[in-house]
Amino acid sequence: MSKQWLGVNRRELLSGVVAVGLSAPLLAYSAPQKRQKAQVVVVGGGYGGVTTAKYLKRENPNLDVVLIEERPFFMSCPMSNHFLAGLMELSSLCFSYNVLEVKHGVRMINDKVLGVELDKKVVRTSSGYIAYDYLVLSPGIDYDIEDKPFYRDSLIYNPPAFKPGSEHIYLKRLIEDFEGGDIVISVPTPPFRCPPAPYERAALIASMIKRNKLKAHMYFIDANERPIINSEGFLSAYYDLYRDVATYITSAQVRDIDVQKKVVRTSHGDFKYEIANIIPPMKASKLLEEAGLLKRGQKWVEVNPLTFETSVKNVFVIGDASQSYLPKSGYAAHSEGKLVAKIINARIKGKEVKEEYLQMICYAMVSDKEAIMAETAFRYDTVSKRFIPTYREDNQRKESTAKRYEEWARGLWRDLFS
Amino acid sequence: MDRRGFIKTCGTVAVASFIDPSLFSQVLAQQQDGMFQAYKKALLVKSDGTPLKEEDIKPQVNYIFFYPHNATPCYLINLGETVPPAEIKLKDGKSYRWMGGVGAKKSIVSYSAICAHQWSYPTPQYSFINYYPPDKPSETTKKAGIIQCCAHLALYDPKQGGSVIDGPADFPLASIVLQEEGGRFFATGVLGKDQFQQFFDNFRTELRQQYGSTAKARELVDKCIVMEVDKYVQAVVRC
Repeated sequence: MSKQWLGVNRRELLSGVVAVGLSAPLLAYSAPQKRQKAQVVVVGGGYGGVTTAKYLKRENPNLDVVLIEERPFFMSCPMSNHFLAGLMELSSLCFSYNVLEVKHGVRMINDKVLGVELDKKVVRTSSGYIAYDYLVLSPGIDYDIEDKPFYRDSLIYNPPAFKPGSEHIYLKRLIEDFEGGDIVISVPTPPFRCPPAPYERAALIASMIKRNKLKAHMYFIDANERPIINSEGFLSAYYDLYRDVATYITSAQVRDIDVQKKVVRTSHGDFKYEIANIIPPMKASKLLEEAGLLKRGQKWVEVNPLTFETSVKNVFVIGDASQSYLPKSGYAAHSEGKLVAKIINARIKGKEVKEEYLQMICYAMVSDKEAIMAETAFRYDTVSKRFIPTYREDNQRKESTAKRYEEWARGLWRDLFS
Repeated sequence: MDRRGFIKTCGTVAVASFIDPSLFSQVLAQQQDGMFQAYKKALLVKSDGTPLKEEDIKPQVNYIFFYPHNATPCYLINLGETVPPAEIKLKDGKSYRWMGGVGAKKSIVSYSAICAHQWSYPTPQYSFINYYPPDKPSETTKKAGIIQCCAHLALYDPKQGGSVIDGPADFPLASIVLQEEGGRFFATGVLGKDQFQQFFDNFRTELRQQYGSTAKARELVDKCIVMEVDKYVQAVVRC
């Protein structure tokens, strides 16, 4: 018999057998807590975390990098509306983390992070502690529903599909089973993950109603005065293409959701539904609150806008959880990951990196064939000490923009997983 | 590369290629700190198989050919004016000398058409990366005389060795080293950071479909058919 068995050596195996024999009911508590060390620990295997881990190793193959992610595989939120609308297979959005380990030498840990102890410089997982020199936290969002408990019931019945995975799969099934009636989609005030996503989703659902000639109507309830991005492009699509199958209601607040009677109560009246896609307000992952990186009342973690470093030295928060000048999106998280990898590698070598302002580019479908897009560049104004955005939007819906959109996503995936 | 090194390279390469063009690649390889890779010398030809001549390369038209591998696309552009040599600096501190245009007016340049950002490339169906001549600026960036990739708006300067002008690319486009001999044009190697390995890794499935096997896609060529991009690509996506 090999001395190694499923990663456990003979001595550990024997001691485990003894432990089971003596105190089986306490097994979960008596399991030895492993302690590991890595130079860099990255928490969260989304766009930000994967990019950071890969680029750290790409620039410095000798670096010891651990990436901890609870999910066994990656699923992309960008392009997930394509999946919901039947324009893309789920398999196209899913990737294995395997390549990070095999090709780039990142140590992947498929585990849940239970806590971060900043004073001890350790991350606690269900299987033990991992000490670090540098910590990059990219855990994404949680739904901010504590002060509005009606959202809690709604989450179970009406999946928001703003966290990758089962929410999307369940919502997709609801859409596939839909034969007619009313659909309600609601959008909170920003900031929320991927600003064009709810507006794109509304357009694609309306497009599906038309395409399938369903006896249905969509009520799109927006807490904002107008679409918060590509306003002109979305409004003209809603008006030109979907007037007969959809109603866009602005500045309307969701006040209650009765999941039994299937009614959404808003400041602009009650809406019965067959399917509801209620998108709740969002905040940074609870993990960051428990780590002490969120002050009382804060929803997002304050970071140095040029480095994404928190108030704790060598601890970085990137992606949707940080409060930065960039919108919350996979593309932004990817850019932030590259930057933070560069900063950490430079610090390890005792070097500085040049200031870098990141850019944003995002696309949105407005029908099953056409898309619009927006690009945002930023400059730092030293007088007001604020980042000033310059928007370049292309609000003319085009099939060629839809093709660019797909290539935009495929390029990102190539970068993450090759 | 410092100023002295830069001038020395210009002088050495110019003298060497004047005496014997075959020395060109060897000298270039020695001078470029590993940034030049010589490949099979390949003759540029027209669709009918006859050698491409300077008068066939119309100014401001985007031409495509495949070099050094069967499947790796390159652009050929006559910029219509003399394009002097330039020193190309990379973000990692390395630099190399780009030789400028070739031809009678030194106006003809050539680059790998694989975007150095996330490897978009012209396929028979679509090209997201394209040349925008001076009279047809990009609608999005308003810039002209550039090579632009519409997927993430990476912008490159064909007059400056494919340097990054704006956008997310970390590297310039790799340039294709061209030599003119007796009115005929040859591709002899690739200068700069090529993206061939990533290209073959990422597009294995597509290349297998198009070429029958990845080995066939990787084959080195000794002849390149040059054609206008819109004769190869069904939809040239401009933005």
